[in-house]
Amino acid sequence: MMNVAVMKTKFEQSLTEQFNHVSARLPGGAAVGVARTAALGRFSALGLPNRRIEEWKYTDLRNALKEPLAVAVDDDTKVTVADLIVALGPLAHLEGPRIVFVNGGWRRELSNLEGAEGIEVAALGATLTAAQDKIGEALAGTTGPDNDAVLALNTAYMTDGAVVRVGDGIEVGKPLLLVFMRAGSEGRFVATRNVVSIGKGAAATIVEAFIGLPGSTAEGQHNSATEIHVGDNARVTHVKIAADTGKATHLSNWMVGLGAEAVYRGFQLNQGLGLARNQIFATYHGEGAKLDLSGLFLGRGAEHIDTTLVVDHAVPRCESRELYKGVLDGEARGIFQGKVIVRPDAQKTDGKQMAQVLMLSPDAEFDSKPELEIYADDVVCGHGSTAAELDTDLLFYLRARGIPLDTARSMLIESFVGEALDRIEHEGVREVVLDFARGWLSKLGR
Amino acid sequence: MAAVEATVEQVKKIDVDQYKYGFETEIESVKAPKGLDEDTVRYISAQKNEPAWMLEWRLDAFQRWKTMTEPTWAKVHHPKIDFQDQYYYSAPKKAAGPKSLDEIDPVILETYKKLGIPLKEQEILAGVQGSRVAVDAVFDSVSVVTTFKEELKKAGVIFCSFSEAVREHPELIRKYLGSVVPQSDNYYAALNSAVFSDGSFVYIPPATRCPMELSTYFRINEKNTGQFERTLIIADRGAYVSYLEGCTAPMRDENQLHAAVVELVALDEAEIKYSTVQNWYPGDKNGRGGIYNFVTKRGDCRGHHSKISWTQVETGSAITWKYPSCILRGDHSRGEFYSIAVSNGYQQVDSGTKMIHLGKNTSSRIISKGIAAGFSQNTYRGLVSAHRKATGARNFTACDSLLIGDKCGAHTVPYIEAKNSSAHFEHEATTSKISEDILFYCRQRGLSQEEAVALVVNGFVRDVLQQLPMEFMAETQKLIGISLEGSVG
Repeated sequence: MMNVAVMKTKFEQSLTEQFNHVSARLPGGAAVGVARTAALGRFSALGLPNRRIEEWKYTDLRNALKEPLAVAVDDDTKVTVADLIVALGPLAHLEGPRIVFVNGGWRRELSNLEGAEGIEVAALGATLTAAQDKIGEALAGTTGPDNDAVLALNTAYMTDGAVVRVGDGIEVGKPLLLVFMRAGSEGRFVATRNVVSIGKGAAATIVEAFIGLPGSTAEGQHNSATEIHVGDNARVTHVKIAADTGKATHLSNWMVGLGAEAVYRGFQLNQGLGLARNQIFATYHGEGAKLDLSGLFLGRGAEHIDTTLVVDHAVPRCESRELYKGVLDGEARGIFQGKVIVRPDAQKTDGKQMAQVLMLSPDAEFDSKPELEIYADDVVCGHGSTAAELDTDLLFYLRARGIPLDTARSMLIESFVGEALDRIEHEGVREVVLDFARGWLSKLGR
Repeated sequence: MAAVEATVEQVKKIDVDQYKYGFETEIESVKAPKGLDEDTVRYISAQKNEPAWMLEWRLDAFQRWKTMTEPTWAKVHHPKIDFQDQYYYSAPKKAAGPKSLDEIDPVILETYKKLGIPLKEQEILAGVQGSRVAVDAVFDSVSVVTTFKEELKKAGVIFCSFSEAVREHPELIRKYLGSVVPQSDNYYAALNSAVFSDGSFVYIPPATRCPMELSTYFRINEKNTGQFERTLIIADRGAYVSYLEGCTAPMRDENQLHAAVVELVALDEAEIKYSTVQNWYPGDKNGRGGIYNFVTKRGDCRGHHSKISWTQVETGSAITWKYPSCILRGDHSRGEFYSIAVSNGYQQVDSGTKMIHLGKNTSSRIISKGIAAGFSQNTYRGLVSAHRKATGARNFTACDSLLIGDKCGAHTVPYIEAKNSSAHFEHEATTSKISEDILFYCRQRGLSQEEAVALVVNGFVRDVLQQLPMEFMAETQKLIGISLEGSVG
C-alpha cells in the first residue's frame, strides 16, 4: 500500500478556513486562544477520521461529512419558552433546574436555575471570558485523546456549554438538565463543551438533551464534549438523550475520570440521528470505583449510530459494566465498539460488557467490536455481543394467546430495550427516556 | 494468594531452554544464494524444474510483493525483518527421489525418531488405534519421503509433494492454486507465492472418503532458511479428508522466518478437517531467537453443504500471526475453528479466525482457548461477517483466556459484522485466572497444587482437544505439558 498525500475534503477545508473568520468572536482570553489554535492545527493535520483509522473503521466521517456548514457563533435565532416546551417533549415534565443553549449559545431567558441548591451552574462562554487564562490552561490539559480530530474540532470552535460544580458532600436530589437545541432555517456547525466536577462524597444526576426545534431545518452538525470528574466516594448518574428528527449529525465525546470508591452510571439514548458517533473515555484514578455504562440506540432509514467506549482500568479493584441495546429498522446501521483495558497492576478488576441488537429489517446492519486488552492476571473480564431478529417462537407464543401481531411485536421490543433502561437509577429520568423510546417505537412499520 | 505466587514461581522456573526438540542435524544441503530478487525466484523455479507458467506465476507474485508493505496491525513486536538476509531455498543434497525408506539418509531418519515419529514403525505398524497415518515429511524444503502412497493411489487419492503435483497434475494446480489465497492477498502470502519451496498437495476424488488420516511433518533445519510451504487440499464432491500437520524445529539463536500458505477447497457436500500442532522453537527464556510464524490459512467452502474445520494447537514460535479462515460460499456450508494457543516466556501470539458468510443458511462455530503465562502476549483476533444476501447465517463464538502470572497479557479483538437481519450471531469472551476456589476445592480432595492446575487447564482446553484426531491427542497433551511445564506439573 502506498502512502498518498491525502487531499483535504471540502468539509476539512471549510472548517479550517472558517476559523480565521470566527476566531475573534469565540469566547476566552489569550490562553484559550492558544489552545484553540493548537487544536485547529491538530485537526488540520489529522483531517477527519476515516476507515483507515482502526477506531473509525465502521464510521468514515471523511466520507459521511461531505457538506460543511457555517460555524455557529453568537447565534440569535428566536426561540420562545413555548417553543422550548414543545421541543422538550417528555422532558418538559422533568422537575429540576435547567440551563438551555440554542445553536451553541447560552439563553438566559430560557434557562431556569431555581432549585439548583448546592450545585453551581454557569455558562462556559461567560466563564471563559471572565476567568480568562485559568480555564484556558485547564482546557489545554484536557483528558481526552490528543489524536482525536473530533475533539480537536470541539476545542477549536466551542462556543458555550455548562460548567457544573457540586461541592464536597453535597447531595443534589433533582436532576440538572442541560438542553442543547437546534433551531433556525439553516443548518449550523455547533460545538459545545461541558465541564462537570463532582466533589468528594457528593451525589448528583445530570441529564444532557440534544433536541431539534420542530419546524426548523433538519440539517445540523453538533460536536459536543463533556468532561466529568467524579470525586472520591461520589455518586453520579449521567444521562444523555439525543433525540432528533433523523438527519442531523451528532458527534459526542464524554471523558470520565473516577475517584476512589466513586460510582458513575452513564446512559445514552440515541434516536432520530442521521449520523451519530458517541465516544466515552473512562479512566479510573482511584481504587474501588464502579462504572456502569448503558445505552439504547434506535435507528431507521439510513441512520448510522456508533457507540465507541474505552474503559481504562488503570488502578486495582475497580468494576465496570456495560450494557448496550439497539433496535435497527430500515437500512439503519448500528456500531458498537467497546474496549476494556486492564493495566498491568490493575488486579482484582471485574469487567463485564454486553451489546445486543435486534434487527427488524433485512437491510439493517450491525457491526460490533468488543475488545479486551488485559495485562493483569487476577481479573474477571468478559464480553458478549449478539445480533438477531425477533424470535418467531416468542411471537408465535404470544399470538397463540390471542395477542395481535403488532402488540406482540411491541411487547417483545419493549422488553428487549427495557433491560438497558432499568440501568437508569433516577425514576423520573427513566420514565422520560422510556417515553422517548416509546415515541420512536410507535412509529415502527411492520 | 499463596497459590498464585506458587504458580508464578513455577512458571518462572519453566526453563524454556529445555525445549525438547532443539537439536540440529548435520546434512549437506543445497542453498540458493542469500537474498531475494527476481533471480532468486528464477533459481528456485529452475531447481524444481518447474514449467514456465509456474515461474510466471511466481514472478507475478514477486512483482506484487515488491509494492506491498508489512502489516503492522497485529499485537506483535519484533525487529524489522531484513528480507535480503535470508536464504530462500535449501534442499538436502542426497535425498533425490527415494523409492523406499531404506534409501533415506539414516541421519534424517534418526532426527524423526527423536521427534517421535518413526516413519518406519509407522509404515510397519500401520498406525495406532486401527487407523493409519501417511506422512509426507518435509525436511527443510523438499519432501523427503511419502509413505502409504500406493494405498492412497488405490482409492484415487492424490497425496504428494507440491513440486510433484506441479509436474504430474498441472491441470489441478492451475485450476486451484491461488484461488483461495490470491498472490496479493497479504504481504506474507505474496512472499510465499513468489518463493514457496515445497509443501503438500492433496486431491480427493468425488464421493471418496480418504482411507486414512493424512499427515505432514514440517521441520525447519538449515540455519537462516525461511520456510515457505504451500499446501493445497481439494475435496471434490462428497469427499472427506482429515489432514494433520505437526511441526517442531531445532533450537537456534537467530530468528527464523516462516511464511506458509494453506489453501483448502471443499466442493459440494465435501468435508475437510485440518488439524495443526505447532511446536516450533519459541526462543530462549530471555526472548532471544525463536521462529517468526506468519501463516495464511484459508478454506473455501465452495460447494453447497460443504464443511471445513480447522483445529489448531499453537504452543511454539516466538511470534505467531495466523488466522485460519473459512469462506462460506456454498449454501448450507459450515465452518469451524477450534484453537488452543499456549504462550509462555516472551512468546507473542496473535491468532484467530475469519468466518465470512456468503451463502444462504451457512453456519460457523469458533471455540478459542488462550493460555498466557510468563511474559507472553496472547491475542485472539477474529472476524465474523454475514453479507447482505447471506440469509440465515448462524455463528457462535466463545473465546476464553486464562492468565497464569501477572506479567503476561491476554487480549480479545473480535469483529462482528451482521449485514442482514436474519443473521444470528452470538459472541462471548471471558478472561480470568484459575479460580482460587476451584484450586482450593481440588486440593481439599487431596490433589497437589500442580495436579490441580493441570486438571483445570485440561478441563479448560477440553472442548478443543476433543476435536483433534486420536493420533494427535497424546502428542498435544504432551506439548501443552511441555509449554506450561512447572505450572501444570
